[in-house]
Amino acid sequence: MLSKTAAKRFFVVGTALCFGAFFLLTLDTLARIPAQTNQETMTDAVVRGKHLWDTSNCMGCHTLLGEGAYYAPELTKAYSRRGPDFIAAMLRDPEAMYPGQRRMQNYDFDEGQIEDLVAFLEWVGRMDLNGFPAEPDLGEVSVPVTSTDSSVARRSDRPQVFNQMCIACHALGGQGGAVGPALDGVGGRLDADYIKRWLTDPFAIKPNSLMPKLPLSDATIVELVAFLSQLKD
Amino acid sequence: MRYESQRIAWWFFATSMLLLCLQIVYGFIMGFAHMGYDVLHDVIPFHVARATHTNLLVVWLLCGFMGSAYYIVPEEVGRELYSVRLAKWQLGTLVFVGVVALVGFHFQWWEGRKFLEIPRPLDWLVVVNVLAFLWNLTMTMWKSPRMTTTSCVLYFGLLMAALLYLPGMIPTDNQTVDSYWRWWVVHLWVEGVWELIMGGILAYLLIKLTGVDREVIEKWLYVIVGLTFLSGILGTGHHYYYIGAPRYWLMIGGIFSALEPLAFLGMAIYAIAMARRGGRSHPNRNALAWTIGCSIMSFVGAGFLGFAHTLPQVNLYTHGTLVTAMHGHMAFWGAYAMLVFAIIAYALPQLTGRKLYDTPLAAFAFWTSNIGMVAMTLAFAVAGVAQVYLERRMGLDFLAVQEEIEVHFLGLVLAAALFAVGIGAYVLQFWRYGLPVGEVERAAVTGDAEGPAPDAAAAEAGA
Repeated sequence: MLSKTAAKRFFVVGTALCFGAFFLLTLDTLARIPAQTNQETMTDAVVRGKHLWDTSNCMGCHTLLGEGAYYAPELTKAYSRRGPDFIAAMLRDPEAMYPGQRRMQNYDFDEGQIEDLVAFLEWVGRMDLNGFPAEPDLGEVSVPVTSTDSSVARRSDRPQVFNQMCIACHALGGQGGAVGPALDGVGGRLDADYIKRWLTDPFAIKPNSLMPKLPLSDATIVELVAFLSQLKD
Repeated sequence: MRYESQRIAWWFFATSMLLLCLQIVYGFIMGFAHMGYDVLHDVIPFHVARATHTNLLVVWLLCGFMGSAYYIVPEEVGRELYSVRLAKWQLGTLVFVGVVALVGFHFQWWEGRKFLEIPRPLDWLVVVNVLAFLWNLTMTMWKSPRMTTTSCVLYFGLLMAALLYLPGMIPTDNQTVDSYWRWWVVHLWVEGVWELIMGGILAYLLIKLTGVDREVIEKWLYVIVGLTFLSGILGTGHHYYYIGAPRYWLMIGGIFSALEPLAFLGMAIYAIAMARRGGRSHPNRNALAWTIGCSIMSFVGAGFLGFAHTLPQVNLYTHGTLVTAMHGHMAFWGAYAMLVFAIIAYALPQLTGRKLYDTPLAAFAFWTSNIGMVAMTLAFAVAGVAQVYLERRMGLDFLAVQEEIEVHFLGLVLAAALFAVGIGAYVLQFWRYGLPVGEVERAAVTGDAEGPAPDAAAAEAGA
């Protein structure tokens, strides 16, 4: 039967071997991380952004690289998902972007700080994360996109700003946020001029509008109006 | 209780209980926020509640471990503590640093790194504090006539916990490197050296409560902590899958962390086997219930539920979802909270001289808090799995999914209320025991059936 000395030897030797291996792997990992995270593109703005990320305790609600709390969206791919303009607008006034939804604190960041945070999120989004986050693989079951006649409902045919900003609150073809009304058939309900005026300044049409005035350029508005107008049933 | 200086443990235990109650309050704030009632947003926003909740957990557990060490070590090594004054000073400063940190969180003074939120200047104070604690233990053991495996394992665990706090302070601007070192602290604590502390305390309790020969218990203690490190150290890899570290961690982390349940299973089998083997039935059945309960719940919470999402193929979808919260709650409860409850349940009758362990209230506290925690875990599990499928696999919007699972947080809050009633009963029981005024027993009249009895002369000299 196992003696106490043998048990002790098992503990000491096992621990030493495992820790030795772990230590060597750590050295190797630290040597490889710069390449895997594109550290050469980590500008001063990115570093300042990380500092803001930490001192604001963003991880207290959000996750980044899947780490943090589970109260607010995962932000690893926020830059490609929403684009810099949306993120900046969100940081300027969070509650205006998601009216009546789960609340985020307004940190009163200045424009420089907002640029730093956007740069940080852009840098994080470019890391090689071994496949995380995975693309949703059951999506097609619930969204019969292929069965619709209008090709405009396909994600790839939409304006990029629609996929990044509008979809945060509005759904199209069953996909997107549930904060504002779905946009299926919006071109049949509203004329192009109205959509243009609405996108330019919602408050000019409806003073108590829940939709915020978004940072959209004239060219973007023209593109969106053309796209939305052809969404007819 | 054999030594005057063991009484200091009571003050650590009392602090633990107070902080635990506060932790539960902050848990409720978050539960309600998830349910859609974020009514305190302007006073205590979610990230403040979150930082406070997790840091209170760490502080009250550490406080409980320190109290346990101050209670166990004198008895194990057969002499009074090196310095009771240092222990008092150390508790005072720990509470001071803790209060400053928690108040600071409410003014958003923090580092914002999950679990290690406390600001850097306070980190150094924690280090000084823990060094004082270790100095006290070291001198106690150094000057004593005997060493036991149990006290050595406990000491080694506490020492390593202190050392492993340091990697968390390595400065870096790279988010991935930052996370990499952060897990050296967090993972190597809870799935590494804290398990040594757990093993040491469990071994002490089993020796006292079951009367099984010390040699047998300590032999298996080595096997258990050996298994812990064999799986736990390289198991750290399960935190490195998707944070920008090399791909080989998927393989290494997957294999070794899949072995982690074995250590916990070993712990459970060990505790149950020793309890069955013990011929003597110690009158403090309540302490035995917490001891066995701890070993079983830690296997379920840390071992089984950890395994449930540790494989990289699964973790790809569950990483960063409420599934983690499900595992985290029961793991900490089973492995560490119940452990502190067990040592308190054992020590209180000795410390206070009152034998209240077989009251209905004690049994009520045990069952209610455990049933409450199982129900909370189920609520988290349902919410987490729903989130994984809706958000990660079907691609629904985050906020839409959160609204969908709000109802499960109603379940969580109800379960948490049951849990809180159980904790309330335990704290009430603690209160009823009163202050630590118990008589110091002479070694000759204890009749404690241990292996090699501590040197009676040394004990006398110490007292």
